[in-house]
This record gives sequence, structure tokens and C-alpha cells, in this order.
Amino acid sequence: MDLQILLLLGQDGLTNGAIYALLALALVLVFAVTRVIFLPQGEFVAYGALTLAALQAGKLPGTVWLAVGLGVAVVLIDGGLALKSGNLKRLPRIILGNLGLPLVLLGLISGLEAEALSALALPLQILLTLGIVVPLGPLLYRLVFQPIASATPLVLLIVAVALHMTLIGLGLVFFGAEGFRTQPFSDGAVEIGPLLVQHQTLWILFASVALIALLYVLFERTIYGKALRATALNRTGARLMGISTTMAGKLSMGLAAFIGALSGVLVSPMTTLYYDSGFLIGLKGFVGAIIGGLASYPVAALGAVLVGLLESYSSFYASAFKEVIVFTLIIPVLLWRSLTSHHVEEEEE
Amino acid sequence: MHRKTLIATLISLASGLAASAAWADINVGVSLAATGPAASLGIPEKNTIALLPTTIGGQKVNYIVLDDATDSTTAVKNIKKLISENKVDVVIGSSTTPSSLAMMDVAAENETPMISMAGSAIIVEPMDAKRHWVFKSAQNDAHMATAIVEHMTSNNVQSVAFIGFADAYGQGWYKEFAKIAEARKIKILANESYQRNDTSVTGQTLKILAAKPDAVLIGAAGTPAVLPQKTLKEKGYKGAIYQTHGVANADFLRVGGKDVEGAFLPVGPMVVADQLANDNPVKKSALEYVKKYEGVHGKGSISSFGGHAWDAGVLLGSAVPVALKKAQPGTKEFRKALRDAIEGTKNLPAAHGIFNLSAQDHQGFDQRARVMVKVENGTWKLIK
Amino acid sequence: MMPKTFAPAHAILAVFLLFLAGGPLWLPEFHITLLNYIGLYGLVALGLVLLTGVGGLTSFGQAAFVGLGAYTTAYLTTAHGLSPWLTLVIGLGLTLVFALFLGFITLRLSGHFLPLGTIAWGISLYFLFGNLEWLGGHTGMTGIPAVAIFGLELKDGRSFFYLIWLVLLGAMLTTRNLLDSREGRAIRALKGGSVMAEAMGVNTARSKILIFTVAALYACVSGWLYAHLQRFVNPTPFSINQGVEFLFMAVIGGVGHVWGAVVGAGLITVLKQWLQDFLPELLGQSGNFEVIVFGLMMIFVLHRARNGLWPAIARFVPAPPQERHAVTTAEPLPRRQLPAAGTVLLQAEGVTKRFGGLVANKDMALTVKAGEVMALIGPNGAGKSTMFNCISGVNPPTDGHISFLGQPVAGLEARQVARLGMSRTFQHVRLLSSMTVLENVAIGAHLRGQKNYLAAGLRLERQEEARLLAEAARQIERVGLAEHMFDAAGSLALGKQRIVEIARALAADPCLLLLDEPAAGLRYLEKQALAELLGRLRSEGMGILLVEHDMDFVMGLADRVVVMEFGEKLAEGLPEEIQKNPAVLEAYLGGVE
Repeated sequence: MDLQILLLLGQDGLTNGAIYALLALALVLVFAVTRVIFLPQGEFVAYGALTLAALQAGKLPGTVWLAVGLGVAVVLIDGGLALKSGNLKRLPRIILGNLGLPLVLLGLISGLEAEALSALALPLQILLTLGIVVPLGPLLYRLVFQPIASATPLVLLIVAVALHMTLIGLGLVFFGAEGFRTQPFSDGAVEIGPLLVQHQTLWILFASVALIALLYVLFERTIYGKALRATALNRTGARLMGISTTMAGKLSMGLAAFIGALSGVLVSPMTTLYYDSGFLIGLKGFVGAIIGGLASYPVAALGAVLVGLLESYSSFYASAFKEVIVFTLIIPVLLWRSLTSHHVEEEEE
Repeated sequence: MHRKTLIATLISLASGLAASAAWADINVGVSLAATGPAASLGIPEKNTIALLPTTIGGQKVNYIVLDDATDSTTAVKNIKKLISENKVDVVIGSSTTPSSLAMMDVAAENETPMISMAGSAIIVEPMDAKRHWVFKSAQNDAHMATAIVEHMTSNNVQSVAFIGFADAYGQGWYKEFAKIAEARKIKILANESYQRNDTSVTGQTLKILAAKPDAVLIGAAGTPAVLPQKTLKEKGYKGAIYQTHGVANADFLRVGGKDVEGAFLPVGPMVVADQLANDNPVKKSALEYVKKYEGVHGKGSISSFGGHAWDAGVLLGSAVPVALKKAQPGTKEFRKALRDAIEGTKNLPAAHGIFNLSAQDHQGFDQRARVMVKVENGTWKLIK
Repeated sequence: MMPKTFAPAHAILAVFLLFLAGGPLWLPEFHITLLNYIGLYGLVALGLVLLTGVGGLTSFGQAAFVGLGAYTTAYLTTAHGLSPWLTLVIGLGLTLVFALFLGFITLRLSGHFLPLGTIAWGISLYFLFGNLEWLGGHTGMTGIPAVAIFGLELKDGRSFFYLIWLVLLGAMLTTRNLLDSREGRAIRALKGGSVMAEAMGVNTARSKILIFTVAALYACVSGWLYAHLQRFVNPTPFSINQGVEFLFMAVIGGVGHVWGAVVGAGLITVLKQWLQDFLPELLGQSGNFEVIVFGLMMIFVLHRARNGLWPAIARFVPAPPQERHAVTTAEPLPRRQLPAAGTVLLQAEGVTKRFGGLVANKDMALTVKAGEVMALIGPNGAGKSTMFNCISGVNPPTDGHISFLGQPVAGLEARQVARLGMSRTFQHVRLLSSMTVLENVAIGAHLRGQKNYLAAGLRLERQEEARLLAEAARQIERVGLAEHMFDAAGSLALGKQRIVEIARALAADPCLLLLDEPAAGLRYLEKQALAELLGRLRSEGMGILLVEHDMDFVMGLADRVVVMEFGEKLAEGLPEEIQKNPAVLEAYLGGVE
């Protein structure tokens, strides 16, 4: 193996690792705030990529209907509750907040001709995609996790598994079994030393770094970010301070959906994505998140990059045993992390 | 019990009795991979089953379709259910080799003929008491691999690298291909594998490039077969690239775009039915299926795999009338007669080729069941 | 023997067993098939009940052990023609080695590292199966022979049915027996009580390995059965997805209950089948909606019954009356020889404990003699509980020397210290709230029994068990809580829970008792009773080290007092001296003018 191959593999690992890192951040965020190990995180990636692909093909993506359907369900439930308590003033907010965006997008997209839709500028298409996928996060939180917010992490995890199955099934119905690829943000490549780097690779690395920086600012500087952090550190305390854990849950899940969909949009020009691609990508992000102890953002990101690199090098050396190598090598890392990170064992009943 | 269900049960009981008073319906059980990793095989197959004739030889035919989610346990559960609950006369399925192998035991034990749609020859070879009941409508991988090797030798390819799915499809292809290639003195320089939904195959590609093969064979099915070819091109590979017949659907061309231009692959003639010479014996029967499928699902929607389901139907279409003369559907004798009739199929044109079965050959296609095509301008171009 | 009471629950169980026994005679073929799969899945889920539900260790990797069992027999019977019964033994042996190895590595992982660890080796093993040529690769292996019992080949589902369900029911019975024993109480303490359990002498690491191994062996047997039922193996049934599904079954059924495993496996298997039948009729043949509806239903079920279905079902069936063991009739356990009064039991010198930069104990020294009550007092945050933890081995000191009965203990684990005859209570009550008072106290007597889990599973330890429970009951009566013996510990008032802690400590038959604020939350009369009890223990020759805030209580009881402030010893002496000590008064009252 010469230097060039070493570098090429490193670049490949880094690119994949960057995506895993984004997902790891989302997983850490959701877990810290809601204690849900959010297995369906990967589905947001697939939904993001496939929704964009459908728009580029001039089709109405099924995810719009999902958003509308979930919105209707939330409006029925929350609206019903508001009616029961005689709190009619809240109704408009409930309807607008949950159903507004999905309905507008549905109208907008179905109003456009197929040609017009696929001819739309890429940034607009991406904006539409995010507009469709991101609301799924808070809506799903409201319907699936909010009613059992106080359950044990194991139950929350199993509900997450069930949600993952449902979303995969829906993905198959919406998009079919075959894969999709979208147009790159910009064609071409630049030469960096001995390497020829695709523009899209740069986009991914740039977006990951930007997003991580953005999250940092969000958590350090804004009141919402601080509220999330407070909830992550101490739920009861946060509630006593007037921070709604429900709001925090919705917000974190919305962010997770945003990060997931954006990751999907970023990778879909590089590779083919399928309705069930999310699981494996999510799993590798999950590995990164766990290496970060489900608590530390920088370590999680580093862990994710490590997974990407491991994967890339082992696919060169022994591709048939790639998974065996990656996941076996994870165990000593886990062992080391487990023995060095502090935590109190006794809690859960 | 709800009153509605009760009434429905009574009606169905009554109609069942009435029917069995005359001839019983023919029940065809189908188990395929409509979800899971092999969904891109199972879905066109499932769509095709819906197009199969609902009467054969004057008898009504019921198709009971179950999904095995590409899981061999579920496949076995399905065939047990089809045989014991639905009392089927014949089973079509499954889409993949492992599921078909798993179902085989149950079919043989219950003396029910089974027609697999999977590729590997080990489903019907070597012939033994179990495989006595098992048929296969899809060309053996070896069939297709031979076509590739022939094309390679005539184009002076002396060394090949292989990259395929890390599953039964990829492994099966490698085995068959390696056997035939070795016999023809083609060197295999690398055997790499990847996951169907891997996002990158850079590592494998670099290894292949380092080996400097004359050609690369990609042993994958459907759109996931695009990624290795795309990556090879990106990294500057200039040699010939071969794909397998598993990629022959419109989605592959859509996702592949200009990246898959120039790929060679063997396919069943139905994929290029309209390009076949008019005297080609398969043309008429292949076009029949293509027209029917595209009529429902749109132009360019056909895939190889749907054709296998169709051909299973074709086999039944010719065998059932023969068996009906001997016994009544729903009986052990009918299943035996049906098995014998399928085994006795001769010169039957189907979508993928001409069936000529025998006691030793439960697949029955010959070299007329494959043609080499090349991807050109986003379509399959027959190589004459 | 007591006459068995007959309750509706027993009747239902009897009907269920009759149904199973007679099933193959009249049930349609396919129902037998389904019941077979339910049995196979139930066996794996049962392991998860033990591992995850009771022990609190989440594993996604069980499918890999199923694969191990299945592949072992598939390979050895087809390639080497071995008898399936021999391959079962080999498979179990192999699984044992694997589980011990994997357990040794992964059970050191704590918190969320453990589930991921199980995912990691689950995936590794799966791809290993798929990539080994001699195991048939991803395509699989055919031609696995049928199992024969006494020359009778179990070729069809109906005959195999009995084998599966006998194994499953046997495993359920064994598991239930195991949980209802000395080892079982230790296992049940793993979830949320391991610090306490260690302090009572339980080797929690060993208990974890034990349940991990048992769960793996159940999975292995399930795999062996699967291979001979299916007569074909390929990797897909042993993938991580299946591993997740097993956990799913256990949680849906009720992960804390033995029957939950069967209910979960049954519900999921039947539901999937039912959806396969009815959805196409409802929504047409074209789509694939099964998994969507299935997922939604599961979410719904967990919303309604987050502890799983079994507890929800069990609520409708009046439980058989708690067996009130004829507890006190058993022969008493042998007792420890107490050292003569005045012997120095505990000697601590120069004990320093640092947490990072914070010094919680600095150069502390104290002694406790047999037959005396030594009180350790001081303002909140003075480091008293830290000192307790140093002495009892729960959290060893950074520096210093501690000897107990002349033996250095500073480096020992809590359970080793407990074995020497020191027992303690905790300031924050550490009881297992869903277990009865009797069972909680019996954990204290853990070290006084020897019979292992194998004996427990087969009920060969009933005599010892009766003696342990009798001892626990005696201690409960001694502390005056006899009427609460069969109540859930969590249902008691906090003050009474502290008393239960004392009973548990006493059940260990210690010569030195460490009590951390035993009187907090007690009413006046209860305090008097407690003081009386402690006085009695002292006169029997026990040494008592007491942390307490109630000065009247302390001064009335203690023989000597040590006062701590800011982690250091402020004063030491007789109670009356301490009450006059100006430094102490200043510390407590903020200075005397």
C-alpha cells in the first residue's frame, strides 16, 4: 500500500465519519434530553435523501403525506384535550403549529408541475426537503414519546425500535425498494496534494464542521440551547425552573430530524441511498455516540470519525470481514471508555 | 365472534362446499421477499403474480401471496402455512437462494411441487429425493456466468477482479464464475465484497485498481450495483466492467446514469425482447409478458425478476391442464400429477427462454435463455 | 408439608398445560407450527427476562448465541455425522466458553456501553457465520438430520412440539426456582442494588456472569432445536435484527416476569401471522403494510402497558395467596463466635479520602471494641458517611490503615469485608422496593448459605433456604416488624425502612455493626425501642459504630464519641466530655459567646 492509497482511504473514512459524527451528535442530544436511544435517527437520513430525490424527479414525496397525517393526529389529540379543558384559545396555535407547514408544503408541491418542480433551484429543493422532514421530529415526539416520557430507558428504547420498524415500512411504501441518488451541490473536483477531492466531499466536511459550530453556539448562547442543556443535566430541576420538558423533547427531536435530513441531503449525491439505508448509518453514528458516553459531543464526534476510518481501512484489507473487524475493534474501545469514564451505577429501579 | 365475520365464514364455507362438489379450485401458494434486503427482487415478482391467469384449463386459480421479508425462518413458516392452512397444490418461491433451500424440505416432506425463482443451481442440483419436488424458473447462475466468460474470452480478457454483495447472491455468483473462469484460464485477481447499502466502496475499489485487472465483474443486484461501477470510474478505471442479470431493471439505469454506460451483462431475452430477431423463438412469449407488465406499471418498468415469476406461471399454465386430466385439485394425486407434468415440460417458450425439463434437469433452460447486452445511451443494447 | 392452596391462577395454569399436552392431538398443523416457533422464541426471551428484566443487563446479542447453537449442530451433524444429542452437549460447551469469554469482557462495560458491546459482538458473529465457507456462507447448510429419541425420529412438527415445550417449561421452572432462592435474591439485587449487595457479601460480578451465561445457554438450546426443526440454517435468522426482536418480545411480554417471555413470544408471532392474513384483505395485495401496522400496534401496547402485557394480564387473575413460609420452625443457622467484650474490633488510622481535589476525610482515626457503642457525630458534610464507606470497603480510602479483627482491610472489596463479620446500613435506604421485607432481610444472610445456583434451579437447597428465611424472619421479629414481613419493602414508611436495613445487617450475624443514621425519621417510641435493641446487642458482645444526628439518642446510648468536622477528627471522648468540649460546642452551635 502506498501513500496515495493511504490518503484516499483516509479521505473516504473522514467523509463517512463526518456523517456519522453528525448523527452521533443528534443521538447524544436526543438521549441527553429525553433518555431515548433514538434508533430511528437513521430514517431521517433516508427520508431526507429520498424526499429530495423525489422532488428532483418531479414527484410528490410520500413523506409530505406522513407529515400531514401526523399533524392531523396531533391536532386531534391536542385539540381534543384543549376542548375538554375549555381552553379554546389554544386551538388556532395547535392547528397552525402542527399542521401549518405540512399543509402549505403539500399545497405548494402538488401545485407545481412535475417539470417546474424538478427544475427548481437546488437550494430551494433542499429547503423544501427540510421543511417536510424536520417537522416529523417534533410530531413524532408528541405522538410516540411524550405519552411515556417517564418510562424506563429500556421501554423507551423498545418503543424507538417499534417506531424504527414502522418508519422503514413507510419508507418502502413511499419510495420503493430501489435506491436513489441526487444531483451534487456542485460538480467537479479540486486537487489537494496527490488527492483529487470531489466538491461534494468538501461540502460534507464543510457542512459538518459548520453544523457542529452552529450547535455549539446554540447551546452556549441561546436561551433554548441553555434550556436543553439544563434539561439534559437535570430534568426535575429544569422543570422546577419553568423549562417544559415537553418543549425540550420536541426541540431536541426537531434538531435531530434536521441533522438527519441534512446528512441525507449531503450524502445522497455521493452514494446511492435506499429506504433502509438509515439503520446501518445510524448504527455507526450510535457507536460514535456511545464512545462519547452519550454525553460528550466532541468525543462522540471523534468516535464517529474513528468508526469511519476503521471501516474504510478494513474494507481495503479484508472487505468480506469488514463488519467483523469494525465491530470487534469497537469492543476494546468501549472497554477503555467504560473503565475510564465516571458514572454512578445505582439508579434505575 | 362478530356477526359479520360469522356470516362471512358461513358464506365461504358454503361456497367452499359448493365448489368442492364440482371441481375444487387450484390453489397456488406464493412466498417471496416483498420486504427486507431482497425487496427489489420480490416486489416485481409480487406485481407479476397479480398478472398471472386466474383460470387455467377451465379451473379457477387462487394465488395466495405471502411475504417472507428475505428471512429463511419466515419462508419456512410461510410454506408450512400455505400447505397446511391453504391446502395449496403448488408453491412458487422464494426470491432468494437461502429461503428457497429452507423451503425445500417442507415441500418434499408434504409432497408438494415447488418452483423457486432464485438463481443458484444448488436448489435443483444434484438431483435427489428432496429435489424431486423442486423446480426452478430462473436461469442458473452458471448459465449466466458462462455467457460472461465467453464474452470475456472473445474480447481477450485475461484477468478479472470480482466485487459482489456480501450475501448469498454475491457469494453464489463468485463461486460459479470462479469455477468457469478457471476452466477458461482467466485469472481472478481479487474477490471483494460489500454490503447492499454501504455508502462507500472506496477501499475495495482501490484494492481492485492495485491488482490491475483487464475487467471487473460486479456481482450485485438492482441499484446497489451502481456504486462499485461509479467508484471505479471515478478512480480512473479504464477496463471493461461486467454486471450480472440481477441489475436488469429501469432503476439501475436511472440511478447509474452515465456512470454505468458501457457495462456488459447477460440477461434473459425478455429484457431486450423488442430487439430480438423476429425468428427468435423466445421473442413472442417474452413480448407477451413485457406488454402485460408495462401495460400496468408503465414503460420500462420490467425487471428480470418479475420475469421469473411469470415463467413460473408459464410452467403451471402448461402443466396444470395435463395434471387436471389425472386428478382433482386439492388432492395428493393432483400434486403428484402436477409434479410429473412440470417435469415433462418440453419446448415451452417463456419470457426468459425455452423450457425443456427432465427428471435430471428441473430448470430446463438452454443457451437461448440468455443474451449479452451492453448499456448504451441509458438503455440495454443487444450484442448480436 | 403445608396443604397447597388452590387459586384461579393455578386453574389457569393447569388448563394451559392441558392445552399444550393435548394440542398436537387436535390442533391444526399450522397452529402447531406457530406454537413451535413461540416455544423457540420464548426460550430465548426467557434468558432475556433473567438477564435484562431481572438483572438489568440489556443484550441485543442473543441471536448470535442462537446461531452458535444452530451452527454447531448443523456443521457437526452434516459434515461429521455426529449424533444431535452429542452436538447439543458440544454446542452448550462451546456457548459456555463463548459466553464466559464475552461476558468477561463485555460485562465490565457499564451503563450504555454494555448494550452496544452486545450489538458489536452480535454483528461480528453474524458476519462470521456468513463468511466462513465451511459453514455454507450466506447461502446456508442443508440436510440437517432429525432428532431421534429412543429410536423415534422427531420428523414432523407435532412430535417436535413436545420436545420444544418440555424444554421451555423446564427452563421456566428452573428459572423461577433460581429466582426464588439465595442466589436469586442476589441476582434480583443487581438492578439498582449492587452496592448494597456487595456490602452484604454478594459477588455481583459473578452473578452477572452467571445470568449472562444462563441466558446464552437458553439461546443455544433454542438454536439447536431450531436447526433440527428447520433442518436448514443460514445466517439471516441470527442477525442483529432478530436479536432486537428477542428483546422486543421480552419487553412486550413483561421483561420482569418468567411468563412474560412466553406471552411476548406468543403475541408477536401470532400478531405477525394475523396481520399477514388480514391486512391484504383490508388494504389489498399490492402494498406491504404488515410491518407498519405491527410497529404501530407495538407502540400502542407499550403506551398502555409499559411494563409489558404479563403484569396487565396478571392483574385480572387473583394471585395465589403468598406462601407464608412456616418460617421459624427451621433449624437455626450456626452463629459466629463473638470476640470477648473489650477486644478491639476495628482500628482505623490516618484514613484519608480524596475525591479529585476535594479531601473528604483527612487523617481520621477511630477504634471500636466489642461490646461497646461508638458514636461518630458531626455536622452535615463532615465526612461521616465517607468514613463509613472507607471502613466497609464500599469506597476504599486513598490513604491510611484500617484493620478489622487484626486484619488489614483497606484494600479489600466490600464483600470480603462483609465476610469477615462487619455489616452495615446505608444513610440513603438501599432496599429493593418491590421485594418483600423478608426477602430483603434474607439478602443480609447471603454469606451464611453455600448452595449454588444449580442446586437452586433444581430445588436441592430447600432445607438451607428454609433456614435462611427463618433467620431473616427472626431478625425481623427482633426489630419489631413482624407484621410487615410479607409487605413490599417499598410500601413501608421511611423510618421503618431504616429498621429493615438494621434487620438485614443483623441477618449477616456480624460482630461489628455499622449504622448510618438509624434513628432518622423514627417517632419517639420507636427510637426508644431502637435504643433498647442496640443496648441488647451491645450486651451480647457486638460492637456498634453509629452515625447519628439525634443528640439525645446518641448521648443516651454511646459509650464513646468521636466528633468530625471538615473531614477531620475534632474531638474524642466519653459522651459527657464531648458535651462540654468547647470546640464541639462551637462547631455545633456556631461558637459560645
